[in-house]
Amino acid sequence: MHNADRITAALLLAFSAVFSAAALKYYTWWGDSGPGSAFLPFWLGLVMGALALGLLYRTPAESAQWMPSREGARRVLVVLGVTVAFVTLMQVIGIVVGIALFLAILMRYFERQPWWLTIVISLSAAGMNWLVFEHWLRVPLPMGIFWTS
Amino acid sequence: MGFGVAFTPFNVMMAFAGVMVGMLIGALPGVGPPSGVAMLLPLTFGMDPTSGIIMLAALYAGTMYGGTITSVLINTPGESASVVTCLDGYQMALQGRAGPALGIAALGSFIAGTIGVVLLMLVSPLLARWALSFGPPETFALMCLGLTTVTLLTGDDALKGYISMALGLMLAMVGYDIISGDARFGFGIPEMMDGIDFLPVAIGLFGLGEVLHDAEQVGKAPVPKGRYGLRDVMPTALDWTRSKWAIFRGTVLGFAVGMLPGAGPTVASFLSYTVEKKVSAHPEQFGKGAIEGVAGPESANNAAATAAMVPMLTLGIPGSATTAIMLGGLMMWGLRPGPMLFEKNPQFVWGLIASQYIANVLLLILSTAFIPLFVRALRIPYGILMPLIITFCITGAYSLKNSVWDVGQMLVFGVVGYAMKKLGYSPAALVLALVLGPHAERALRQSLIISDAGPGIFFLRPISAVLMMLALLAIAVPVTRALRTWVRAG
Repeated sequence: MHNADRITAALLLAFSAVFSAAALKYYTWWGDSGPGSAFLPFWLGLVMGALALGLLYRTPAESAQWMPSREGARRVLVVLGVTVAFVTLMQVIGIVVGIALFLAILMRYFERQPWWLTIVISLSAAGMNWLVFEHWLRVPLPMGIFWTS
Repeated sequence: MGFGVAFTPFNVMMAFAGVMVGMLIGALPGVGPPSGVAMLLPLTFGMDPTSGIIMLAALYAGTMYGGTITSVLINTPGESASVVTCLDGYQMALQGRAGPALGIAALGSFIAGTIGVVLLMLVSPLLARWALSFGPPETFALMCLGLTTVTLLTGDDALKGYISMALGLMLAMVGYDIISGDARFGFGIPEMMDGIDFLPVAIGLFGLGEVLHDAEQVGKAPVPKGRYGLRDVMPTALDWTRSKWAIFRGTVLGFAVGMLPGAGPTVASFLSYTVEKKVSAHPEQFGKGAIEGVAGPESANNAAATAAMVPMLTLGIPGSATTAIMLGGLMMWGLRPGPMLFEKNPQFVWGLIASQYIANVLLLILSTAFIPLFVRALRIPYGILMPLIITFCITGAYSLKNSVWDVGQMLVFGVVGYAMKKLGYSPAALVLALVLGPHAERALRQSLIISDAGPGIFFLRPISAVLMMLALLAIAVPVTRALRTWVRAG
C-alpha cells in the first residue's frame, strides 16, 4: 500500500499546486466588499497540499493487498472496455439496441450463461428500459439509426 | 395533514415500490443504499417532489432491512449498516435459525422505524425553529461540523477521509461562481461551466465503482439451506423476551446517533452491538448466535436511518451518504432544505413524515411475506446482475439532462470510485463535500463580508463558536493520534 500512497500523494500534490496557482492567476482574490472567486479555491489547494504531504511522509500502516490479480484486472478492463464502447456508440446504435448487445456480450463473457437465457434477459431488459424511461418518464433516449420516430 | 398527502393511492404505490426495490437493492451484495438512491433518483424527476421523496425515503428504509438478509444468509453485508449483523446473524443461520434471525430483525426494524418517525415528528419542528435564527456564520460552522464528522466516521483512515473531502470541495468549485459570475475551471467547455453535477458523480462512485470492484472477484458463498416461509420466520416467545429490551435500547441509541451529522446507521449499529454485549447476562454467547446481537443493531440502524432525515430536513446537512444524495435530489426539485422548508413546503415535509409510517408497515408485511423471494434473488448469478446494474447507471446518468456528457462523467467517476475503493478512500466524504461545497462557500463569503473581525466572526458568535470548536476537535483527534505514532516511531 505504501507505494500506492506515495504515488497518489505526489499526484495530489501536483494537482493542488496547479489548482491554487490557477485560482490566483485567473480569478479575483478579493472583490469589492469581500473575498472573491479565487479565495476558497486557493485555500482548498493549500489544504489538499498539506494533506498530500501528510500522506507522503506518514509511517506506512499495513501493506494490504491492493493490486488486483492478473485475472481480476482483466475482468475489470473487459467490463470497462465494453462499457466505454457502448457509451461511445450510444448515439449511433441507440440505447435500446445498445443495452441488448451490451448485456448479451457481458453475460456470455462472465460465467457463460446459456444462449436462451442471454437472449431472454437482454431483450426484456432493453424493453423494460424503453418502457420505463422513454414511455413513462418521457426521457428522449437516443434511439440511433435503427429507429426513427 | 401529512396523512392526507401520503394516503393518496399514487403515493402509497410509490412507498410500496420504494420498499420493494429497496429491499432488493439492500439484499444484492455490491449495491448499497447510496447507489440505490442515486440510481433511482432519475426515475423521480418526472414526479411531484413529494411523491419522489416518499419513494426514496421508503427505499432507504427498505435497503436497511434488505442488507440484513445477505448478512444473515451468506455472511456478506448488503450495506455497511448490516456489517455487525453478520456476527451473530450468520451464526444463527448456521444453527438453522436463519428464519427467527430475519424475523426479529424485521420486527425490530418495524418498532424502531415507527418510534423513530414519532421522534422525527416531535424533534424536527423544534430544531427548525431554532435554526431559523442562524446567519451565514452559523450555517458555515454547521457545514464544517457536518463535513468533518462524516469524514471522520465513514472510514477507518482519517487522513484519506479528509483527502476525499478536500477533493469533493475542489470539484464543487468548478463552474459559475455564484457571487462574481466567474466561470471557474471550465476550460471553455460549456458543460464544465455549469459545474459538476453530483448525480453522475454519485452514480459513478457508488454504482459503477462498486460493480467494477466486484467484477474482480466473481463467485460467492452459497445460501444455507433452510425454510423461509411465514411460519419459519416467526421468532419464538423466548426470542422475543430476550430481544425486546435490545430493540428498545437500539431504537433510542440509533435515533440519538442518527441525528448527529455524519454518524448515521453504520455507527449506530456498531454502538448498539457493543452496548448489548456489555449489558447482557451472557456476553459469551455473542458471536455465537445471540439473538440480541441481531435485534439491537438492526433496530438501531433503522432508527438512525429515520433520524438522519432530521438534520437533512431542518438544517440542510445530511447525516449520511444516502441522505446527501437525497438532499441533492431536493435541490434539483427546487426545494431548499433547511429551517424554511417547514414553513414554505409544509405539505412536502408532513407528507414525507406520514409516508414513513406507511413505509414501516409495508416493510413489516413485505419482509415477512417475501423473504423466500429475496432468498431466491440472492441466487441470481452475478454475471447477470452486474451488466444489468451498469445499464441502469448509464440510463440514469443520461436521463438527468439527456446528455451523453453526464454519462461520460459517470464513467470517469466510476473509475475514480473503483480506485478509491481499492486504495481505501471514502466516496461518501467526496459526494457530501460536492453537495455541500457551493453552499459552504456562499456562507463563508457572506460571513466574511459582514464581519469586522475577519475569520474571527466564527468564534465571536456563541452558536457558531461551539460548532466550530466541535469541528476543530474532529480534525484534532486524528492529527494528535498520527503525531503520537510518528513521534514514537522516531
